[in-house]
Amino acid sequence: MNLVRAATDAVTSRPSAALVRAEIEPERLRAAVADPAAGATVVFVGTARGVTAGTVTRCLEYEAHEPLAERALADLCAAAVARFGLVACAVEHRLGRVGVGEAAVALATSAPHRAAAFAAAEWLMERIKAEVPIWKCEEWGDGRREWVHPEALMQPAPGGEP
Amino acid sequence: MDDDCSSHARTLRIAVFAGLAEACGGRILDLPWAGGRVSDLRARVAATVPAAAGLLARSAVVVDGRHAADAAVIPCGADIAILPPVSGG
Repeated sequence: MNLVRAATDAVTSRPSAALVRAEIEPERLRAAVADPAAGATVVFVGTARGVTAGTVTRCLEYEAHEPLAERALADLCAAAVARFGLVACAVEHRLGRVGVGEAAVALATSAPHRAAAFAAAEWLMERIKAEVPIWKCEEWGDGRREWVHPEALMQPAPGGEP
Repeated sequence: MDDDCSSHARTLRIAVFAGLAEACGGRILDLPWAGGRVSDLRARVAATVPAAAGLLARSAVVVDGRHAADAAVIPCGADIAILPPVSGG
């Protein structure tokens, strides 16, 4: 009975999503989704890569439409909880300069069993990269700066149906 | 239902981001605006900042916090953002 209530509370009160300027601590995300109803927790950390297709990256810089991005992250988290039957979901994305090796994005999903937690983490990352209004600037080893804008047509509305 | 903002001699304040901000020379673009649709706004921005035209064609327009189709009428005093293709994660 307590377990059921704990899971229900998690679903209603704990889709947690944030844009952050300080370093991401994955343990904080893991703790945010911890729950007695969970039998599996997946923590994904996306780090700034130092080499892309043979070219050295000095650092990354991220900017966002902050109100829309925070809403989109929260909506995706809530959608993942509903779609995969998660116990809880948490996501953080960095803004500003991110050094090579540092976390640019991290998320945690908890579920009764691991299949849902893994699938939700992958689904969330795909959606975050495709939809959330956050942009990355590569600062290459030679000092050139380049905003990354993938060659796709317009993005679907954040929080829209898959 | 078409809004006509001409009597207000308004300036439309547009938030732009990333490569679009770079092309526009800043994160805010102020345009004199006498009313119109999202498609009119796209044409005006492209004419004002030709360097932004290519990226603009691949960008989404957000009006008062919601993605807006080209045919949508922009209300007077609307809060506008233009979002180029995203690259978070």
